[in-house]
Amino acid sequence: MKIYLALTVVSLKMYFRNRQALFWALFFPLLVMLIFGMMNFDGYNAPSVAIHDESESEASRNLIKALQGDEEEVLKVSTGTPEEILHDLEFGESRAAIIIPKNYGVPGELAVLQVTYDERYAQERAVISTVLKQVTDGLFKEYAAVPDEYLVENSINVNESLIQGQGQGFKGWLIPGIAAMAIMQTGLFTVVFSLVRFKSQGVLRRLKATPIGAAHFLAGQLTTKAIVVVLQTYVLIIVGALALGVSVNTGRLGAWFDLTVLALLGGALFIAMGLAISGWAKSEETAAPMANVISMPMMFLSGVFFPLSVMPEWLTRWSQYLPLTYLADGMRAITVEGATVTTLGDELIGLTLWILVVFTIATKTFRWE
Amino acid sequence: MIDPVIIANDIRKKYEDIDAVNGISFQVRRGEIFGMLGPNGAGKTTTVEILEGMRNADSGEAVIDGINVKKDPTAVKSIIGVQLQQNAFFDNLKLSEIVGMYAQLYETKVDPIEVLSRVGLEGRKNSKYAQLSGGQKQRLSIAVALVNDPVILFLDEPTTGLDPQARRQVWALVKKIRDDGATIVLTTHYMEEAEELCDRIAVIESGKIIAIDTPNALIDQLLATGFKPEKRLREATLDDVFLNLTGRDLRD
Repeated sequence: MKIYLALTVVSLKMYFRNRQALFWALFFPLLVMLIFGMMNFDGYNAPSVAIHDESESEASRNLIKALQGDEEEVLKVSTGTPEEILHDLEFGESRAAIIIPKNYGVPGELAVLQVTYDERYAQERAVISTVLKQVTDGLFKEYAAVPDEYLVENSINVNESLIQGQGQGFKGWLIPGIAAMAIMQTGLFTVVFSLVRFKSQGVLRRLKATPIGAAHFLAGQLTTKAIVVVLQTYVLIIVGALALGVSVNTGRLGAWFDLTVLALLGGALFIAMGLAISGWAKSEETAAPMANVISMPMMFLSGVFFPLSVMPEWLTRWSQYLPLTYLADGMRAITVEGATVTTLGDELIGLTLWILVVFTIATKTFRWE
Repeated sequence: MIDPVIIANDIRKKYEDIDAVNGISFQVRRGEIFGMLGPNGAGKTTTVEILEGMRNADSGEAVIDGINVKKDPTAVKSIIGVQLQQNAFFDNLKLSEIVGMYAQLYETKVDPIEVLSRVGLEGRKNSKYAQLSGGQKQRLSIAVALVNDPVILFLDEPTTGLDPQARRQVWALVKKIRDDGATIVLTTHYMEEAEELCDRIAVIESGKIIAIDTPNALIDQLLATGFKPEKRLREATLDDVFLNLTGRDLRD
């Protein structure tokens, strides 16, 4: 019995010292549980509408508030310029674009709300249309102090129109995200695993004894990874589009150039991150969990598998600045939203800033031996 | 000394508070096998790495074949061959590819098969590094150190961990390389290796050279002090017994 206990204690010690095993046994499942637990998968999923408010009056603000609902979310509301809200509708980010006119809430005037729907989503159109009718009716009665039992002709009119959206639905949305995630995985893990191995085996030291030195070798390694990243992006997008039956914006030849630029930027970012980690970590045992701790949350928080909009706002407020979010958003904009590298703004700035930060860290932590 | 190919002059190197190398000076003659002996942590490897241009000395001067190591480490690296204590090569390259890659790092072209045949590995040109035995790995690392036809070959514990047969083969190889015209600097803790191979040896202890001479002269000096070994040596050693029983042929 004593021997058994002693052996069990030793074995437990060995297990808990193996951080990688701990990661997969505990940290990873917990992470998945927490992240998926925060998603609002069951219950009423409020359709999203994008609003442009020309009136900017107290009345229009009340209308927006009423559309959002009091306790329970009725509609998910975002605001923007007329171009932005139409773009959101066209590419599936929202299900309706609403323009509140200047004369909304001006006494004696007939205000007409301009509402545009994506004709592909009839069910959500019906929900939004009903909500609009009820909310505008209710608000009008409140302003005019009409008793509930009277039915009045609505003086807030709703003018509805339809467009054919271009978004590719979830599948088209998923492909560029997964391609972005794959860039992260290649950048981080192939660099971490090969470099830490070369380092611990002394391969880099041996190279340092040659007149060319290890820096050239490293440059060759990184170039290889960059080529892999670009090729893998092509393959994932082509195969994904064929297998899932969606058309990505690849009819345009320039899209491949744009994708290459983004893949290289993303590759540079995550390869540098891999360098930083492998400089930090002393052995493969510590490098792998570190790479996982960094990549795993990003995988779920950067809108790769599901949109950021299903996550609570306190979380997306931060996760929108993650490097993978910028890369996934950029790749998505180019493949399904018809953007080009020159029209990408935030994504390019975000990626560039991250590259600068991570390269600075990498040059500080990287060691040859 | 006439025509010294290595001149080390008062080399010092500190790691934090430890004097790893504490004022080492010596010269190596062209064409000799020079041994550096000493217990682990005595400063052999650090000294060798300073000569190889892989580490900077805190002070002192090292000149390799007329080139100041501190001023032009790259020029030094291009005329020396280096075998490190821990020699790892890429697992997923063939031996011929490893040799070819290193030749490119020295910007020379070699016939990998010819280089491998110098160490008796031509038959394994298509093998991967991980498939080699300990002795073969050592021979490969010597082959790689020979790709640039070095003036000086540095061998850091070349036979540690090898069986007696493989060790003897490495010894024969080292002698052959010397006979082909190279100067060899080797570190070891095997005294029979130093006695067998080295023309001169330096004994290093706590970062200093405490003795430097030919093996025979050092033994004579010891005997002159009236030293008597505890056990009288017999005509043969256990090493001879082992080799007589198991043969001199290599097992790999």
